[in-house]
Amino acid sequence: MSASVQEPTRDELLAMAYVDGELDPTARAEFEAQLAAREDLRREVVSLRRLGLLARSMAAPEPIDHEWKKLARDPLQQTATVAAFMAMAIGATGLAGWGAYEIWASQQPVPVKALLGALCGGALLLLLVTLRGRLRTLPFDPYTEIER
Amino acid sequence: MILCTTDEVPGRRIRETIGLVRGNTVRSRHLGRDISASFKRLVGGEIEEYTKLLAESREQSIDRMVAEARARGADAIVGMRFATSEISAGSAEFVAYGTAVILDR
Repeated sequence: MSASVQEPTRDELLAMAYVDGELDPTARAEFEAQLAAREDLRREVVSLRRLGLLARSMAAPEPIDHEWKKLARDPLQQTATVAAFMAMAIGATGLAGWGAYEIWASQQPVPVKALLGALCGGALLLLLVTLRGRLRTLPFDPYTEIER
Repeated sequence: MILCTTDEVPGRRIRETIGLVRGNTVRSRHLGRDISASFKRLVGGEIEEYTKLLAESREQSIDRMVAEARARGADAIVGMRFATSEISAGSAEFVAYGTAVILDR
């Protein structure tokens, strides 16, 4: 059996030293300038941080963990959870749509309708912008895998 | 970086005190997790959604505190403490703070 060991690149070594706080101030400033410009380097740093965090928060599994994992794999639990969330999402979307239609079809003056439309549209836009921000920053958030 | 809750690092002498360093964060879980957690409150037991939330916040606040200490040239943080408060329902604010020091080699 043979194992292939790949030598780390200079960037990887620098990233490790950066994460471990071993770079002197000049080297750190240079590395941070690189970090701002290169996404691959940012991903490397996040992945090293994630590894360090996991090692730091490693704990022996508790008996209850096995039960939670078993439940998470249980088809009935999975199906029921997905169905519950889907039903709630459909209900919420339907109610919102119905409410919007009711307001639109009501005898309210047009400016009131326009203002309500602006309020709802603004809230929806804000939600989408927030979601976009979260999706963009999620790959650079190393804390999401910590369990306890 | 040595982190300790005691006022000194046992077996080492503090050469220089740099001062207060701290790291804080406010995190939350997504709406789906909050809904699951609220149902778990009905039946009791551990709400692991929030256990995870607190753990994420704790680690991030430690990292930020350590980053500040490193940037200021420290090699240990003594008298480290945590503080937490509730900014809004379902989110966790964590502050880690301590005194950054330089130890004798």
